[in-house]
Amino acid sequence: MPGRIKRHTSIEILEHWVLAASGIILIFTGLGCLPLFKRYYITEIPGFAWTGDFNTVTTVHYTASIFFVMAVCFHILYHGIKKEFGLLPKKGDVKNGIKVMAAMIGIGEEPPSDKYLPEQRIAYIGIGAIILLLTVTGIIKVLKNLEWVVLSPSSEALNTIIHTLSGFIFMIAFIIHVAIVIFFKSNWPLLKSMFTGWVDEDYVKHRHSIWYEKIKGKITQEELTEPKETEPCKEEENAHKDNN
Amino acid sequence: MDITRRGFFLISTGLLSSILIKDNAHGKEGRYATLIDISKCDGCCGEPIPRCVLVCREQNKARFPEPKKPIHPYWPRKTYEDWSDKKGMINTLTPYNWIFVQKVTVDGKDIFIPRRCMHCDNPPCVRGCPFGALTKRPQGNSVINESLCFGGAKCRDVCPWHIPQRQAGVGIYLHILPKYAGGGVMYKCDLCKDRIEKGEEPACVVACRDRLKDKAVFTFGERINIYELARKRVREQGLFLYGDRQNGGTSTIYLSEIPFDAIEKALASKKERFQMPYEVRNKIQTTFNPIGKVVITSGFLSIAGAVVSAIISKNREKGGDEDARKD
Repeated sequence: MPGRIKRHTSIEILEHWVLAASGIILIFTGLGCLPLFKRYYITEIPGFAWTGDFNTVTTVHYTASIFFVMAVCFHILYHGIKKEFGLLPKKGDVKNGIKVMAAMIGIGEEPPSDKYLPEQRIAYIGIGAIILLLTVTGIIKVLKNLEWVVLSPSSEALNTIIHTLSGFIFMIAFIIHVAIVIFFKSNWPLLKSMFTGWVDEDYVKHRHSIWYEKIKGKITQEELTEPKETEPCKEEENAHKDNN
Repeated sequence: MDITRRGFFLISTGLLSSILIKDNAHGKEGRYATLIDISKCDGCCGEPIPRCVLVCREQNKARFPEPKKPIHPYWPRKTYEDWSDKKGMINTLTPYNWIFVQKVTVDGKDIFIPRRCMHCDNPPCVRGCPFGALTKRPQGNSVINESLCFGGAKCRDVCPWHIPQRQAGVGIYLHILPKYAGGGVMYKCDLCKDRIEKGEEPACVVACRDRLKDKAVFTFGERINIYELARKRVREQGLFLYGDRQNGGTSTIYLSEIPFDAIEKALASKKERFQMPYEVRNKIQTTFNPIGKVVITSGFLSIAGAVVSAIISKNREKGGDEDARKD
């Protein structure tokens, strides 16, 4: 009887979705801070008239940034203190990451992986760096508007350009991240886990064999069978088998 | 973990110190201010062009836009802003005319108001430009960098007086996505940035004094002196002030014998393109900054929460391991 393995803790799930939700709002209102919405008739969509007012858009952007900044600060400190560095890239990740991506579109076999796939580690450090850059430049903008820091004209301009450009890169990275999860069935168990925290044992055995080897001795009988009421249904199991 | 933490702090400190270049930085208020006494302005009666307008055009003609034609509309819109065939227009602000003298009649009396950028203390145009094309200089003037400006006209939208003016067919947008993003370059008074950096007065100030001598409309100087002079005249002559507190304060203050709320009403009733709203709140100060304080505070709270949660979680895991060993 296949068991279930804990992949995401409640804290990780909360961090992820707070960042995702605030990130979507920040991308949308960030685009609104550029003069785009009026030109492209977005303001004429029912319920979107507010997007034409820069003051309202900036107010929403600022409000969403409260949650974004909180999630970023929490993530770095919490996992840093706990020494949870499994998502930081390792040697050979580029080569193996390409193999994983190729396998997603049906070319070759996936190399054995630890808890995180090599391409996940590369994506993490890439998107993490962009998020950090956005957060730092965004906070500088806030401090500068508060006049708690005083910037030289050229530094203010440079900070603004970096924030705007990294915002674009973040938007592209965000879209790629969502597309890879949605369009490749092999990633669906991870999406499910980002809601429930659990993945099927079979999934781990096949896709994260190195991780499985590490933890299988520690998996208690309880984890393998519990919680019964949320065990995968037959269809999901079959889909999972097909996938592998 | 120590290395990571130390590295993080080093990077943050480096980033912060690199942007805090104090010697070239402006404070809340710039160094200079201009006093415009409209009780003295006659719009250069009898002259074809007011002196301030004439000299401004002369001073800045090398910087006026020369658009590449044909100019394409701002897709998907069918419109674009082109003033290149109205270069001679002097009775309004255009990319080719950065100051104009506005005539308005209040209670049967004609008054003339030289209008240009107010050079705000906390300018929404500078703070809001997404491309960093606008900067506030230590001298107190807000300046548009023509080579960085995309011409989105956000600065005009957020300016309480809608001062910056757009010319299509010029600027950086032509080299990026000319059809889909950007709309030209914005133009406005920069208080003769090159002149004031050298310690000279703006051209309009000099031209006005040449004509009116000690009765000149414009007085330019150290901000503290200008503000003092303006307040003294308010006290002694019962004049009215404008620009000292509008939008949180500016580097341009108007003096008038007629109350500015009456001028506001007169301009509003004429549906003038350039208004003089009396109550102007600075949205950065009144709306964004209170949320900004929450952003900073919640960031610190989150850091504290992360440290506490991580320690609790580590202890719990340690306890779990010990229990397992006991078993």
